[in-house]
Amino acid sequence: MNTNKNNQINKFPMLSALLHNQNKKHIFPAIFAILFIFLPCSTNTSFSDTTENVLIINSDMSIKNYSLAHTGFKSVIPNPKGEIDLGNKWKDEAELEKMIQKSNPAIIYCIGIKAYLFSHKLAKDTTLIFSSIINWRRLTMEENTYGISSELLPSMQLMMYRYLFPKTSKIGVLYSKEYNEEWMQLARDDAKDIGISLVGMPINKKTNIRSALKKLLKNVDAVWLTSDPLVLSKTDSVRNIFQQCDTANIPVFTYSEAFIDAGATLVISADIPTIGKQAARLTLDLLSRQKKKERVNIPAGSHISINLKKVEKNNLLLNTEALDSVNQIIQ
Amino acid sequence: MIPYFYNRAPEKKCLLRILPLAFIFLLFINTHAFGAEHKYTIYFYNPETNINNFASLKKEFDLYLSQFGGYQFQPFSEREMFEKLIANKKDGIFIISSWHYKKLKERIPIEPVMVAIAKNKPTCRRIFSTNRTIDDIKLLTGMNVASASSEDYTKSVLVQMFGENNGSIATSIKILSVPKDIDALMSVGFGMADGAITTDNSLAKLAAINRKLHDKLKQLLISDETLLPIVAIPKLRDENHLKLTKIIKDMETAVEGKNKLNMLGFEGWKTLNESEKEYLGE
Repeated sequence: MNTNKNNQINKFPMLSALLHNQNKKHIFPAIFAILFIFLPCSTNTSFSDTTENVLIINSDMSIKNYSLAHTGFKSVIPNPKGEIDLGNKWKDEAELEKMIQKSNPAIIYCIGIKAYLFSHKLAKDTTLIFSSIINWRRLTMEENTYGISSELLPSMQLMMYRYLFPKTSKIGVLYSKEYNEEWMQLARDDAKDIGISLVGMPINKKTNIRSALKKLLKNVDAVWLTSDPLVLSKTDSVRNIFQQCDTANIPVFTYSEAFIDAGATLVISADIPTIGKQAARLTLDLLSRQKKKERVNIPAGSHISINLKKVEKNNLLLNTEALDSVNQIIQ
Repeated sequence: MIPYFYNRAPEKKCLLRILPLAFIFLLFINTHAFGAEHKYTIYFYNPETNINNFASLKKEFDLYLSQFGGYQFQPFSEREMFEKLIANKKDGIFIISSWHYKKLKERIPIEPVMVAIAKNKPTCRRIFSTNRTIDDIKLLTGMNVASASSEDYTKSVLVQMFGENNGSIATSIKILSVPKDIDALMSVGFGMADGAITTDNSLAKLAAINRKLHDKLKQLLISDETLLPIVAIPKLRDENHLKLTKIIKDMETAVEGKNKLNMLGFEGWKTLNESEKEYLGE
């Protein structure tokens, strides 16, 4: 690319000499001819000079988290080869396929499940990088599929909790044996490393969540609401969990901002712009043909929201020095 | 003639009487609102931390400052925008990093007055931690390093750490910008990055939270000691600049004020001594 640039610079003295040697009446046709020759060439050069060979397909830019991931990605790769917003309207598959073919990217960054499913179907041979997909393990993944998961590691969440509330050491978790037995064991081990005792209450499809939680609340200082599919299977049961904890004056910490209004004291989630930046770094690494040990990376940044009213009500001892780590304070 | 509604009910008569008063009150509020546009402001920009809780910061600081009169807080996330905006501002004071101050003072007539305190000291060091022992600096080429500071600042720290002769290695390093120092350290500990640039204070925090993870990290390089962020005021100052400086200084004495300072990562302030002024090129 630089060679092209240099070649062009070397051609400009020729242009000047040519202009001097021309009769005045020949100047304008000469300029026109030269512009005609060089302009397309210079446009191409500047295009390839600043553009990375990646196409962004966003499931819906009007969704805040998708838009944040998009912006995060573009803060690292400001000039991708193309950007498609699937939006909330139906997009014709043939039209989309044409757009992808025309762009012919080396990598497609898919934000959200819709973007991923479209890309997986229409551009199977292209390297795909996904983000902003809940439970990515259910995806059909090819050899050339990479991604950034949406969930922080349990140990990261527990560490942040410990940092903010150093005196709260007994945390209860409702979990389904069917889906999260292994996860629970790992979380228990991680918790031990930071002086937290994780008290698990296994449930199954027949368990009465209300009575399981009642038992758990007698024995813990806080409840950790995770994305367990059985625990969160019904809206009513989630509402009941918050109500029961509120009555028992036990704080709930959880993984999604969606639970703030329900009464969560603390939310520790993945920082979305950082996910976009990680996807961009992954893109650059893959474009430079670096091999990757892990095909799906864990989010590297956390986003913390804390409800100070709840902290006070729950009589929690907050480490105020940790307030510089909090992104959103609710009072 | 008596307006027709005067005859309807006594409360309506009352309403008519209070209308002129309400009008005067609204005029008063409006005058104040107009005045509010000219509030003295604390302009905050710190490339050493990737603070992204601007909405909360602004809300909390504005609430705290409002008890002292017409003052407000204005945080910035982008250096270019910050520098552009403050170029001709004479209505405020600045909380900026000492690194940035040295660059700004050539262009803007300001002088430093106080420096922040964290863990009882006005300085910190940056530490380059990695997930493995590295014997040859060349092995760091192209490494993915997590940092909560701006890319500009992180690169300048790396150049200082590596020495001028290894500048090309420093510039080859790929910076993954994360929200907090603790995120950067966890990224190395849990394998999302090969290295992290953080303060020594943050490493001490990690040791307190998770000793096992702390011990897993290798502290490869340590920077020179740098001053924490400072408060700078315009050389041409008035009474409001000084009042606002005192309000900031006194924040550490009130619980509410101290909590706000904690949101910036500080515990308090101290007046700059001669050697600190010298460090800042004064």
